[in-house]
Amino acid sequence: MKTIKLKIDGIETEAEDRTTVLTIAQKLGIKIPTLCHHPLLEPYGVCRICTVEVRLGKRIRMVTACNYPATNGVEVLTNSPRVRRDRKMILEWMMARCGHVKVIEDLAAEYGIIEPRFGRGDDDCILCGLCVRVCSDVVGANVLGFFNRGATREVSTAYGETSEKCIACGACAYVCPTGAIRIENDAALVRQELPLGPLTPIYVPFLQAVPHQPVIDRESCIHFKTGECKVCDKVCEVKAVDHTLEDTIENIDVGAVILATGFKQFDPAAISEYGSGIYPNVLTGLEFEKMNSASGPTGGQIMLKDGEIPKSVGIIHCVGSRDERNNKYCSRVCCMYALKFAHLIKEKTGANVYNFYIDMRCFGKGYEEFYHRLLEEDVRFIRGRAAEITNYPLNEQEAGKLIIRVEDTLIGEVRRVPVDMVILATGLEPVADAAEIARTFNISCGNGFFTERHPKLAPVSTATDGIFIAGTCQGPKDIPDTVAQAGAAASAVQSLISRGEIEVEAATSAVDPERCSGCRICNTLCPLSAISFDEEKKVTVINDVLCKGCGTCAAACPSSAILARHFTDEQLFSEIEGVLYDVRA
Amino acid sequence: MAFRTHVLVCAGTGCVSGNSYATATALENEIFKKGLAQEVQVIRTGCQGFCAEGPIVIVQPDGVFYCGVMAKDAPFVVEEHLVKGRHVKKLMYTPPEEKSPIPALKEIPFFAKQKLVVLRNRGAIDPEKIDDYIAADGYTAIEKALFHMTPDQIISEIKRSGLRGRGGGGFPAGVKWETCRHAAQHRGVEPVVVCNADEGDPGAFMDRSIIESDPHSVIEGMIIGARAIGCKEGFIYIRREYPIARERLLKALEQARDYGLLGTDILGSGMDFDIEIVQGAGAFVCGESTALMASLEGNAGEPRAKYIHTVEYGYKNRPTNLNNVETWANVPLIIHRGAHWFSSMGTGNVAENPWNGSSGTKVFSMVGKINNTGLIEVPMGITLREIIFDIGGGIPSGRQFKAVQTGGPSGGCLPESHLDMPVDFDSLTEAGSMMGSGGMIVMDDQTCMVDIARYFIAFLTEESCGKCTPCREGLRTSLEILDRITQGEGQPSDVDLLQEISEIMQDCCLCALGTSAPNPVLSTLRYFKEEYDAHINNRQCPGGVCKELIEYIIDPEKCDGCHACVRGCAVAAIMGEVKKTHALDKAKCVKCGACIEACKREAIRKIPRSYAA
Amino acid sequence: MTFEPKIVGILCNWCSYTGADLAGTSRIKYLPNVRVVRVMCSGRVDPTFILKAFADGADGVLVAGCHPGDCHYIEGNYKTIRRMALLKRMLADYGIEPERFRLEWVSAGEGERWAHVVNQITEDVRKLGPSKIRPAAKREAAVPAA
Repeated sequence: MKTIKLKIDGIETEAEDRTTVLTIAQKLGIKIPTLCHHPLLEPYGVCRICTVEVRLGKRIRMVTACNYPATNGVEVLTNSPRVRRDRKMILEWMMARCGHVKVIEDLAAEYGIIEPRFGRGDDDCILCGLCVRVCSDVVGANVLGFFNRGATREVSTAYGETSEKCIACGACAYVCPTGAIRIENDAALVRQELPLGPLTPIYVPFLQAVPHQPVIDRESCIHFKTGECKVCDKVCEVKAVDHTLEDTIENIDVGAVILATGFKQFDPAAISEYGSGIYPNVLTGLEFEKMNSASGPTGGQIMLKDGEIPKSVGIIHCVGSRDERNNKYCSRVCCMYALKFAHLIKEKTGANVYNFYIDMRCFGKGYEEFYHRLLEEDVRFIRGRAAEITNYPLNEQEAGKLIIRVEDTLIGEVRRVPVDMVILATGLEPVADAAEIARTFNISCGNGFFTERHPKLAPVSTATDGIFIAGTCQGPKDIPDTVAQAGAAASAVQSLISRGEIEVEAATSAVDPERCSGCRICNTLCPLSAISFDEEKKVTVINDVLCKGCGTCAAACPSSAILARHFTDEQLFSEIEGVLYDVRA
Repeated sequence: MAFRTHVLVCAGTGCVSGNSYATATALENEIFKKGLAQEVQVIRTGCQGFCAEGPIVIVQPDGVFYCGVMAKDAPFVVEEHLVKGRHVKKLMYTPPEEKSPIPALKEIPFFAKQKLVVLRNRGAIDPEKIDDYIAADGYTAIEKALFHMTPDQIISEIKRSGLRGRGGGGFPAGVKWETCRHAAQHRGVEPVVVCNADEGDPGAFMDRSIIESDPHSVIEGMIIGARAIGCKEGFIYIRREYPIARERLLKALEQARDYGLLGTDILGSGMDFDIEIVQGAGAFVCGESTALMASLEGNAGEPRAKYIHTVEYGYKNRPTNLNNVETWANVPLIIHRGAHWFSSMGTGNVAENPWNGSSGTKVFSMVGKINNTGLIEVPMGITLREIIFDIGGGIPSGRQFKAVQTGGPSGGCLPESHLDMPVDFDSLTEAGSMMGSGGMIVMDDQTCMVDIARYFIAFLTEESCGKCTPCREGLRTSLEILDRITQGEGQPSDVDLLQEISEIMQDCCLCALGTSAPNPVLSTLRYFKEEYDAHINNRQCPGGVCKELIEYIIDPEKCDGCHACVRGCAVAAIMGEVKKTHALDKAKCVKCGACIEACKREAIRKIPRSYAA
Repeated sequence: MTFEPKIVGILCNWCSYTGADLAGTSRIKYLPNVRVVRVMCSGRVDPTFILKAFADGADGVLVAGCHPGDCHYIEGNYKTIRRMALLKRMLADYGIEPERFRLEWVSAGEGERWAHVVNQITEDVRKLGPSKIRPAAKREAAVPAA
């Protein structure tokens, strides 16, 4: 590419041929005001506020810096009297339309406009077209466009109606220099304000993620919705973004597998009387945890949906646990995390905290002590399962509050406790596809949690050799227990590896070629493909290594030609005879 | 079959709206009745240009010119002229202030001073017959360009002819072609040629007339251009308001394809080229090249910055050569008769550098306060006085000439002092107006120049696309100021403010519509500043146009109480008994002027409004 | 004295046998009438085993395996379903009430269920009374053809 020499405000510089004056000036730190320009969009050149004076030989021209391609020998003045005169008038024109927009008013002050000669209009939109262009060129949704012409030109959706093509990405509001576009939340979407998932389509899954790299959420990424955008690609200097990467299925040969598929939070929508999803200030345990996190959407501030600090908070224990209608088991972790929440709320906001519990199950090391500490911190404990959360006040104290109705079983009275925020201590459930995982790995899963080989003697191995389980996929447990179990599972795998050899099944089946008639009935029965047919000898053969010794083939053989070792017909007959010794005699 | 006589009936839009088709049919019927069908042929031709006098009929080879021929005149004309061989005097043209009619076309002053190059075939051939065009040396230039000239030779010929763009800018066509050809070769992208027939200026109809009277000349010019630049594709962007022109172009294209002049392997030369017609959707700004191309692409017709020219990145980012209808129509003749022939007409020595002058002819549409409204073609360098007074026949009703506006709505108004100025690209620009595409509006002393500026600014405000701030807001604010001046509420600072707005619009607007839009204001401020002052300082309108600043009076001396004005008044503002002097109620009067039209004794006048002290 | 049926239970190693084990380790109390024979998979159960058990004097036979889809050998228990359905139709021809035979699914986690299944089949067979072919067993009839 050709290099050219030019002069900007007296500074001699070099640049690539046809680089825009704005780009060159910005590199030199010369400020040129822009309104309709955005680095990710093609220059549009319509607001004209970036007008500069250009001299090439004798010719003097006023051009827009954002899209004027510099050529060799050109001299640019970015702040000459003529430039200032022109910009001033342009600002007065903008004020005639938008007289109360801060960015325009600030610029106007810079150019010495005290009161614009054409008056002040009440509009917000300076028709810079950034929103229209970002919607079509970047997002690809093509929702916004210009309508009418001349002085009546306006930005609108087609026919001014709500467009179904709008994906609510907010890009238009983001680029708008005057704040003329606002994103309105649909009432039904209020819960999404504090999402559990990522706040943006590109995010690092969590602070401690390994590898610590951002990922793109295919569901919310604009590129995967419209095929456009790729803004991330443009801003990434090392060009690390690749939208073409696909999920691939990798086949990895392993000798052992540890399942740690975790749990699913109980969905409190099943308990409709708690109003989760209806009252915005009723949060699940994980929602509160996210809000409370320093890296969360509020930066760790505990606040209500309207941004206010709560003065009272209720925590309802055993939501979805120890409940005949949902899960009968105890989720083991809720009591303690509820206490942690109570402590932090007290510490951060000083709010009154009420715990509604059935029993306090503070079984671990130091847990009971923590409970006692909270009792001293003036956290209130009310024994009784909350019956209902309502926003229907019966008196003035309850107005605008959430009221928890509960039978206080210690004093034997039904109480109404008005609070600002309710946290549901939601329990743990098996993941939705637990049964499918169990089937894939040939293990059993009782109530959705995987079954260990032996509850006491083999708590991390399963009925299938080489498959181990750890963590909440095996049953609800807290972090120390999970870590312990994970360590045990890893050790179990390690011991297999370090031994260097494995024991194969001794109880396999074998074919007696003398008796095999070659009928091939057994051939299709073996799910492990251990049975094949010897075309030459016209008999069936069984592969000893593949065979796991289930004996299904032996049971099916009409010639009794298959011998299921250790479980032969004779052995089993004898066993049957044995168990019936007393009637046979 | 040979006919002894041809009767040429004008079928241009002007005469057609005067019902010339009925005249033609009546003539045909009458000729048939008289048994002359084997001897006399009626031909419907393109516009003759003398639209003021339509419907026009010319009898050839006698060269007799009849005007205002209605269907009812047909029997008489046929009987007298075609059967008996006597010219029909009462239908001949009689110039104003003369008594005897002029029988021959070429002796009529309107035609005598004209130089027909682009319009050479107007009224002479049937525009819907390709054979007529070929008989008039049509498509001979194609043969020369395809088989005897290289593309470089064609470009060099056009450059040496000094042909400059007739659409308004006056950019040398040859230079444009060369740039386009080089850009295409350099980038390896196929270029396109486009014909701009989006003639949006109010009162202008040059391009329409050229297409309507000689569509093949435009097509031939485009084929030559395509050959020189190396295009396979061409477009004619025509405004939707021109249905007859489009119809004729479609027919012409079909005929040209049938004759192997368009399509693949043109005349066996191996060149492929075809033309598609695209209709505009009624936006003035689409005459601007980048807006036109955006519209061609199917996008909203809005201009973009032209720092990178359309000859490099135009239609679909391909090198695009855009020329106006008249420019294209000039091309075949230049190739056919040579650059020297063309450059011998007009001003300056253009053989070395096309910027040195203005060669060839220019077509103007002449409207306004002028006797001979119509379409004319004159050599470059002719003076405004010759055009207006010799060809145009001067100002009607013996009024005084005040100004002529050239170059369409964004042109400027030139005063009497400039009447002896030669008409060419550079002189007009220097005087603060422009050539534009050739609209010419003549104004008499009853015109208010502030109102004229206001009218054009209002038109442009309507037509501004609104994309860039200075054009959208500058025109709007200019219009507000002009409105208040014409209503007598102007401030002394308004003149300076208008001047400033105009200068900044020239500096800052995105496209040529915007940068040229202040011309009506600037030229009237330059030549008629006293009228602004009269409006602002004295609250008076010297032209007697601005309604807020005038009032109507009935002169009791002249009024004979005929009651005609009373019947004419729509708001019953005039009272009085028959044969007694009438009186006018100023409170009711809406100053529509109907009473003045109705009064036979010129008893009603407009006077400056009187203000209570 | 009430009739105490003798029932042979043929249990798969992975689910039902472990389930029975769980019932034991869980100290679940249930009737003692089922005498257990362990096979690796319910798919190993040859119908002749059941006939043999009846021939040898069993009052009832219970075959138990993993729940469909949960088989340790992926699909052994599906084969069992098919075989046992056919067998059940034949039992009456031998003079055995089909109700004396039962196929059940008990997973390794279902100690409770195991106890329930055992109690139920015991009570059901108890109602049916002693097997009618028991005397034949006493005559030490030949083992059915293998």
